[in-house]
Amino acid sequence: MTNDLPAKTNALPTKMEAHNLSFFYGGSKALNNVTLPLHQNKVTSIIGPSGCGKSTLLRVFNRIYDLYPNQRAEGEVTLNGNSVLDPSVDLNMLRAKVGMVFQKPTPFPLSIYDNIAFGIRLYERLKKPEMDDRVETALKGAALWNEVKDKLNASGASLSGGQQQRLCIARSVAIKPEVILFDEPCSALDPISTARIEELIDELKQTYTIAIVTHNMQQAVRVSDFTGFMYLGELVEFGETSEIFTAPRDKRTQNYITGRFG
Amino acid sequence: MADHITKAYDQDIAQLKAMLAEMGGIAEEQLNNAILALTKRDLTLADQVIEGDKKIDELERQIEEKAILTIAKRQPLALDLREIVVSIRVASDIERIGDLAKNTAKRAHAIPEALPRKLSMGLTRMGSMAQTQLNDILDAFIRKDGEKAMTVWRSDEDLDALFNSIFRELLTYMMEDPRNISLCTHLLFGAKNLERIGDHTTNIAENIYFLIHGKTITEGRPKKDVTAMMNLTE
Repeated sequence: MTNDLPAKTNALPTKMEAHNLSFFYGGSKALNNVTLPLHQNKVTSIIGPSGCGKSTLLRVFNRIYDLYPNQRAEGEVTLNGNSVLDPSVDLNMLRAKVGMVFQKPTPFPLSIYDNIAFGIRLYERLKKPEMDDRVETALKGAALWNEVKDKLNASGASLSGGQQQRLCIARSVAIKPEVILFDEPCSALDPISTARIEELIDELKQTYTIAIVTHNMQQAVRVSDFTGFMYLGELVEFGETSEIFTAPRDKRTQNYITGRFG
Repeated sequence: MADHITKAYDQDIAQLKAMLAEMGGIAEEQLNNAILALTKRDLTLADQVIEGDKKIDELERQIEEKAILTIAKRQPLALDLREIVVSIRVASDIERIGDLAKNTAKRAHAIPEALPRKLSMGLTRMGSMAQTQLNDILDAFIRKDGEKAMTVWRSDEDLDALFNSIFRELLTYMMEDPRNISLCTHLLFGAKNLERIGDHTTNIAENIYFLIHGKTITEGRPKKDVTAMMNLTE
C-alpha cells in the first residue's frame, strides 16, 4: 500500500487502529494485512467494491463478528492504544465504547423513548428525571428531538426510514461511545434524510471518532476527512479525502472512483 | 486509461476534447491570419479574422455548457474531474487568445499603409514565436504531454524578451520622428497582444501540469517582460 502521508496527518492523534489485520470467514480470507488508523474526532470513510472487506473491517472494530462461529481475526486492533482483540476484553464495554449503525434502520419493537433508554439501562441505573434528560439529549444529538418530542411513547417502527435511522444513531449516542461505526447508513434513505444524516455526522465528529462505509463516492467526499480504498481484502490506499478523490496515487483507486473497471 | 462502465460518460469527455481541439485549431488559424493582416495591412483578411472570432466564442460557450452538464450528470472525480475543470479553463484561455488575435487584426485598419520592412520584421518574428508556442501547447494538451507543456511554459521567457526589444525599437522610431508615433503605438499594442497570447499559453501549460499531476505548479516562471518597470526618461 502506498502510505507516504504528509507528517501533519500522521501526527494526528489516533483513536482506533487496525494493524496488520487479517480476517477469516472459516477458511476464506476476507481481510489481508490491513493497517488503517481512525484519527480522533475525524470522519474516516472506507470505500471499495462489494465484497472488498470494508464491512468486515468495521465488524472487527467492535468485534461484532464474535457473535458468529468460525470467524476469526489475526493481527491487532487497538482502541486508545489498548487491544480490542484480546480474549479478556469485556465485549459489552467494548461495544458501549464503539457503537454501530447499520444499513437498514433497526429500531427495537419498543416505544421511541425505550429504544433509547434500553441501551442506557444495560450500563447505568438512572432515576427517571435523569433518564428523561439522557433520552432528550440523545434525541437532540441525533437531530430527531423536534420531530418526536410529542410522541415519545409511539412505537419506534412508526417513524419514517430516515427518522428510524436517526433513532438508531440516538441509541448509539445515548450510551456515550467514543467511536461510532456507520455501515452504509444512508443507502436505504431518500436524499433529504441522507442530507440530514450527513449533516449529523458532521456535528457528531466534534464529540466522537467516526468511521463510515459507503458505496456513495460523493458522500465519502462530503462527509469524511480521510478515506481508505479497499480492494479484494486489502487496503489499497489511505489518505486525506481531498487527495484521494482529486489525485489518487494508486491506479486501482483511480479506476474505481472514476467508474472504470478496476 | 480504461473505459468508463457507462459508455456515454466516455462520449461526453470525448466530445469535450473534440470541441477543444476544434477551438484550438481555429485559434491557431486566427492568429496566423491576424499577424499577416497587420503586417501586410490586408484589410480583407483582417475582417475575416474579426468575423471568425465569433466561432471561437460560440465554441467556448458550448464547451462550458457541455462541461457543466457533464459535472451535473456524472459527478466526476479524480482524473475525470480534473479533465473537465481543465477543459473549462483552457477554453477560456483560447477564447482570450482569440480576442487578442482579433484585436491585432483590427489594428490593420488603423495603420495608414503596408508596413516598412524594418517595422514589420520584429512583429513577424514575434508572431511566429507566439504561433509556435500556441501550436505546441495545444498539441501537448491533446496528447497530455507534460514535458512538452513545460518546455512551452519555460519558453515564454523568450517571447517576453522579444517583446522588450520590440518595445525599445519602436520607442526609438517614435523618438526619431514624432510622425511615427501613431503607427508605432498600434504596432506596440499588436506586439503586446502577442505577448499576452504567450501568457495564455503558459496558463494552458500550467493546466496541463495540473491535469497530469493533480497539483498546481509551485515553481515560479522566469519572466522577462520588464517594460512595465522601464523608466522612459533614461
